[in-house]
Amino acid sequence: MNGDTSAAPATRTAPLALQMCRVSKRFPGTLAVDCVDFEVLPGEVHALVGENGAGKSTLMKMLAGLFGDYEGDILIQGDKQHLHTPTMAKQHGIGMVYQELSLARSISIYENLLVGRLPKKNALFIDKKKALIEAKALLEQVGLGKIDPRLDVAEISQCEAQLVEIAKVLGSEPSVIVMDEPTSALSSEEVKRLYDIIEQLKAKGIAIIFISHHLQEVFAVADRVTVMRDGKQVGTYNIKDIDTEFIVEKMVGKSIKDFYCTRHPVVTDDVMLEVNDLTRWGFFHHINFKLYRGEVLAICGLAGSGRTEIAMSIVGAAPQNGGVIKIKGEEKKINSVSDAIAEGVAYLTEDRKVVGLALTQDVRTNVLAPIIDNLASGPFYHPARHEAIVEQKIEALSIHPNDPERLVGSLSGGNQQKVLLAKWLATDADIMILDEPTRGVDVGAKQVIHDTILQYAEEGHSVILLSSDLPEVVGLASRVLILREGHLIGELGIDDISENAILLAMNGKGEHVAC
Amino acid sequence: MLTPPQSEAGRFTRTGKLTSILGTAGIYVIIILLLLVGLGIRQLDYLSLANLRSILQAVSLLGMCCAGLAFVVFSGNMNDMSLPMTMALSGMMAIQLIPYGIVVSVLGGIVAGTLVGVINGIMIGKFRAHPIIWTLAFNLVLSGLVRAAWGGSQIYPDTIAGQNETAQATAETFNLFARTYYFDGALPLMVVVMFIMFVLAQVIFSRTTFGNKLRIVGSQYEVARMSGINTERMVMTAFVLCSLCASVAGIFYASLTKIGAYSNGEGYDFRALTAVLLGGMTLAGGKGTMVGVFGGVLVLGMLTNIMTLIGVPTFNQYVVQGVVFLFIVWLNNYLEEKRGHA
Repeated sequence: MNGDTSAAPATRTAPLALQMCRVSKRFPGTLAVDCVDFEVLPGEVHALVGENGAGKSTLMKMLAGLFGDYEGDILIQGDKQHLHTPTMAKQHGIGMVYQELSLARSISIYENLLVGRLPKKNALFIDKKKALIEAKALLEQVGLGKIDPRLDVAEISQCEAQLVEIAKVLGSEPSVIVMDEPTSALSSEEVKRLYDIIEQLKAKGIAIIFISHHLQEVFAVADRVTVMRDGKQVGTYNIKDIDTEFIVEKMVGKSIKDFYCTRHPVVTDDVMLEVNDLTRWGFFHHINFKLYRGEVLAICGLAGSGRTEIAMSIVGAAPQNGGVIKIKGEEKKINSVSDAIAEGVAYLTEDRKVVGLALTQDVRTNVLAPIIDNLASGPFYHPARHEAIVEQKIEALSIHPNDPERLVGSLSGGNQQKVLLAKWLATDADIMILDEPTRGVDVGAKQVIHDTILQYAEEGHSVILLSSDLPEVVGLASRVLILREGHLIGELGIDDISENAILLAMNGKGEHVAC
Repeated sequence: MLTPPQSEAGRFTRTGKLTSILGTAGIYVIIILLLLVGLGIRQLDYLSLANLRSILQAVSLLGMCCAGLAFVVFSGNMNDMSLPMTMALSGMMAIQLIPYGIVVSVLGGIVAGTLVGVINGIMIGKFRAHPIIWTLAFNLVLSGLVRAAWGGSQIYPDTIAGQNETAQATAETFNLFARTYYFDGALPLMVVVMFIMFVLAQVIFSRTTFGNKLRIVGSQYEVARMSGINTERMVMTAFVLCSLCASVAGIFYASLTKIGAYSNGEGYDFRALTAVLLGGMTLAGGKGTMVGVFGGVLVLGMLTNIMTLIGVPTFNQYVVQGVVFLFIVWLNNYLEEKRGHA
């Protein structure tokens, strides 16, 4: 799959900091990483990019020792190692800086930095003085020399916490540091500080693997970049030789558009939902858009852009600090999810396992959950009497097995997601907000869900699609709004929608962006 | 982040019935086993009407508590630790109000006890206090209040009634509650009340909007909230129903012992939870039926009965009950973990 010529590393004399030879990782039903060759030089910043589901995170988890059963070889400093546990990975000099901070907020910085290896005075007491000196030295390496290591992590800013996280990794003297979306919690000023630290680490000969969805960061900091797609390595390039458009093209690849339905429902002029000046401080600001009957409107933005938060505020599950929501021209106050359901607005949540489905209950209970009050006669309600609704949804979405009494937790991911969609379709809503409707589902279920979404729109309903699966957005949406750090920064009409255009726009580079 | 599509089949059994060894069917198997043990000890005497009646009567107070507690456990809030003081408070209040007539006395007792549930419900349902910590602390507060209010002493229906003849008659009526039998002494009123509570609870669980919403609240709180269910009100109602049942039990307790004391409900918190969990409900919530809970109550009652028959001293019986409790909680956690819910 290495169709493109790999860029030759500058020198071959020193041993490679890391070499992953033909590694693969198989999950039931999918090959998440397919025979990837990945190498990193000492003192190099090597960026790893790809769309969601391309296999970046799985590749890095292999390196972190989270999977014992990978195929292929991993060589560190030229020596073959088996990384079966996180401890082994750490011992062999792999340092992981995770997206979600792994610090304990309620204990001090120095205890976090030296966790598991606090210097001891004797059998009972730790040597606090020595610990503080060590912690100070680590903090200085990340430019936090002025911070008192005795402070609790909760007392420092998120940026500082991210830097402490890096300092903690430095403590185990790694030869390779993996940074997974290290900038997602940082402001642009703080990102610059991170770049400086990365430069210093480079100077020490530490190799850095840098994962980011923000392509401009890749260009700012990386020496080389490896692009992944569908679990395969597309190629490795010297950053000097390429530009953003080139990477986007490689990430997207030859479009698999044929797989997606490209029919688009007829959009009418009826405004179903109008959002004016919607604001939730700190999350999104002055959001304005209209949703028309028959439309699939996608809102695209990088992680942390505020998509989910906007949806939560619209359906009343989260507060809002101002703005007007009009449904079919009438201003509505929606204070809770049940208000939203009553007004015909359904919100299919992301993360079906936590906020979507009650996994320990059966399909029937889950599908009927939002409409118990509509089906009840007074205080009485007998779920088995409404079997017809459930069976019709099971049939329409071909949920397998077609048993309403089957526990949802025992279904496959794809069928669980179908149950989630069935649950919201059963509310007969006119407007449906779908948050990552096909995350982690198999191709067959994806097809069914996409067909159902289009059919729903064709029946004269409206859909807001929040998805980071760009081929899905291209296949379904008739209009795309671009969201960036809580602001709508642009719009793509049906003729302009392509994966390249969306990716460029999200990274602030598109021509269609009207800032 | 990439979430690899993993097969989840196998982490859940098909209908979940198998994982709950002590589910509805299982608990009745245990009952039959205990019956056989009983028969072994006492031969046919064990199945005599008198003995069966005494088993049922002995568990009827516990059963009333369980009928209410089931709502709390079902809602995923684990236990109501203020159950003992709810019982004590309602009993003492009812006795204190005897001079005002039997209706005021009973209603007063029930209202006082139910108020405990209202406060629990507001704190846990609305302000999301931790159910165990809050009810445990509130139980302590109540025991302090009750002791302060009655000067730390016990009260008796006849002394409260004093010399007034109508009040004395009311006290008589009050004491009769726990001593009323139907069908020639075969069926005590307490058992009837317990049965009615179980039937009503089963109807509420399976055939009302409240019960069906509570099922979702209990199995996944956030899912219920995002499905438009008023989670706060569901949890509040569960605690109110729990206290309501405990108040009724408290009044019968006071009537049975002819004493109103702060120690009236002692031990009912854990015994009731043991029975509810034995009956197939889970600490995680959203699972179980009243038929199962009734089985759990019977098992606990028969266990006590058999231990008394073979002459196990009371304190040793506590040890057995405690061990059963620990075992059932361990089993609960173990099965949850196996199901991948840790």
